[in-house]
Amino acid sequence: MTDASLDGRSIPREDAYAHAARILGAAHFPLVAGLGADVAGARAAILLAERLRGAFDHLASRDALADLDVLRSSSMFVTTPNEARLRSDFILLVGAGLSSYWPAMFDRLALHEPPRFGAQSRRRALWIGPKRGEAHIDGVDIDTIAAASHELPGVLAALRARVGGRPVALGDAATKKLDAHASAMKAAQFGVAVWAAENLDALTIEMLCGLVADLNAATRFTGVPIGARSGATGVVQASGWMTGFPPRTGFGRGYPEHDTWRFDARRLVDSNEADAALWISAYDGEPPPWRRADLPLVTLAAAGAKADGRGVFITVGCPGRDHDAVDFAQETSSLVLRKASAPSKLPSVADAIGAIGARFSEDVPC
Amino acid sequence: MKPLVLTLRHEPQQRLDLSPLVPDRLIRRTAKEIEALDIGTTRIALKVGDMFKVRLGDANSIRFEGGSERFDQVGAKMLAGGAIHVEGDVGAQAGRAMAGGKLTIAGNAGPFAASALAGGEVEIGGDVGDFLGGPLAGEIPGMAGGRVIVRGNAGARAGDRLRRGVIIIEGDAGEDVGSRLIAGTMIVLGAIEGRPGYLMKRGTIALAQTPELGPTFVDCGAFHFGFARVYARSLAAESRGAARLLGQKLRRYAGDTAVYGKGEILTPA
Repeated sequence: MTDASLDGRSIPREDAYAHAARILGAAHFPLVAGLGADVAGARAAILLAERLRGAFDHLASRDALADLDVLRSSSMFVTTPNEARLRSDFILLVGAGLSSYWPAMFDRLALHEPPRFGAQSRRRALWIGPKRGEAHIDGVDIDTIAAASHELPGVLAALRARVGGRPVALGDAATKKLDAHASAMKAAQFGVAVWAAENLDALTIEMLCGLVADLNAATRFTGVPIGARSGATGVVQASGWMTGFPPRTGFGRGYPEHDTWRFDARRLVDSNEADAALWISAYDGEPPPWRRADLPLVTLAAAGAKADGRGVFITVGCPGRDHDAVDFAQETSSLVLRKASAPSKLPSVADAIGAIGARFSEDVPC
Repeated sequence: MKPLVLTLRHEPQQRLDLSPLVPDRLIRRTAKEIEALDIGTTRIALKVGDMFKVRLGDANSIRFEGGSERFDQVGAKMLAGGAIHVEGDVGAQAGRAMAGGKLTIAGNAGPFAASALAGGEVEIGGDVGDFLGGPLAGEIPGMAGGRVIVRGNAGARAGDRLRRGVIIIEGDAGEDVGSRLIAGTMIVLGAIEGRPGYLMKRGTIALAQTPELGPTFVDCGAFHFGFARVYARSLAAESRGAARLLGQKLRRYAGDTAVYGKGEILTPA
């Protein structure tokens, strides 16, 4: 297998870098998208976007921005999973398939153990809208409220209304059930809500975070958001300290401008506003979301990614497997260094972007 | 006096930032000065003269002959006394943070039209995108005054965080109309989708078609509202449909009780 190809034909990696530099250097408004990379890769990619005066977006921006929109325009209580493990006596799980977004979640939260600090009781849990048969953990009492994904916003709203003692338009039996859940939540000494943004929209997350805030009037309640995929949380942080904004930021006028609509990668490509793209997906080789097929494209993706035979394709290593990498760890809610588990000679995203950047013609500013 | 006319030469290759082309910034400028204003948004520099033929006139009234989905921020921050008319479509953020004056768009508008409007009037003949009147990503306050009329359909979350003023949508509204409403009035004459008034604190949403409401909107019965009738008369000149809706007997649902419950959704009884 070869590491690089041009329109499906394999070529030496050095030639691929030169082709990539030609494609991106010639563009009027290039797009750096995907950004599925570790922090070093994100830094290199955002610097490249700035140098070329293009725009950048992350492949899971929709999910990352759903959480971020609540944080920046409303409010959000959050804690680390470890804190939840040590202190929580009540867990509110929201949405189906939570452990598919974070497979190690229940190991990390260790709900079957009693909390180390605070209440010395068995933990209680309430799961709103689980999949069938999903709401079962040995040693934990889990209550459930059945709700399809389109019913979740209404259930959360009604629960929040009953926590605040306000009326709802439901029958007596349903209201009584909600009241029981509301008083269990109010009786908690340290409650934690867990959700995945991929499952919910910004308004529903705002409702949930509002419920958490309301509960804090009388007790302690906080949240553990399961961040978006492909290193999104780390990339959002890198983008924040480099530009002051999260992804969906452009440098067209020479300074960073953040616009969640204007710099949406799919929209930029399908509207023909971007005239070349660098697609980065180093974790799993997720393909780009756009429909347009004639866009000059450079792809940096993990081995095994389905290259559809267009443009320049360069295989890069997976962060934390092929090379050491700093990225965001869900387990500790912080940036961590991950040592390579199976070191290889594949370049990292930062290496590849560095090599492309070294081959720009002289009229591209540095 | 005749208006200042800007005639589009050809479809733009990049998005344009037209926020410099408002009356208070063009008054007493020569055609040459206007043509030299920067309106590009990429590294390819673009001046007004590259995109528009400028015909001088009374700069208090500006007329765009021809529009494009790439015209962003038309009429942004316009002050009282100005007027802008676009004979065509516009892009994002038309009438953004306008303080006064009148913006009329014959065609369609993109997302964030009338975003954070503080005063004046915005009238859109066609459809609008998402977040009509709403705050931009990361901003806290929404529309704080003025009047918006959309003759066509609106996208998702029209009136997000509306705080004061009136929004009338004569066509259909997309998902979650009036989300996070704080105060003010929203009127929708067509069909609606999703969760109307989700997270609304106060304010009024009047809907001509009775929607399926969430469990946090509580039926308060049907009434003849005295104020709604008086208010209806004041809207009759702009939108007869809105006046007709508010003039009849209305059923009131109080909500969103999840947050505060002081808002209301009104539908024909």
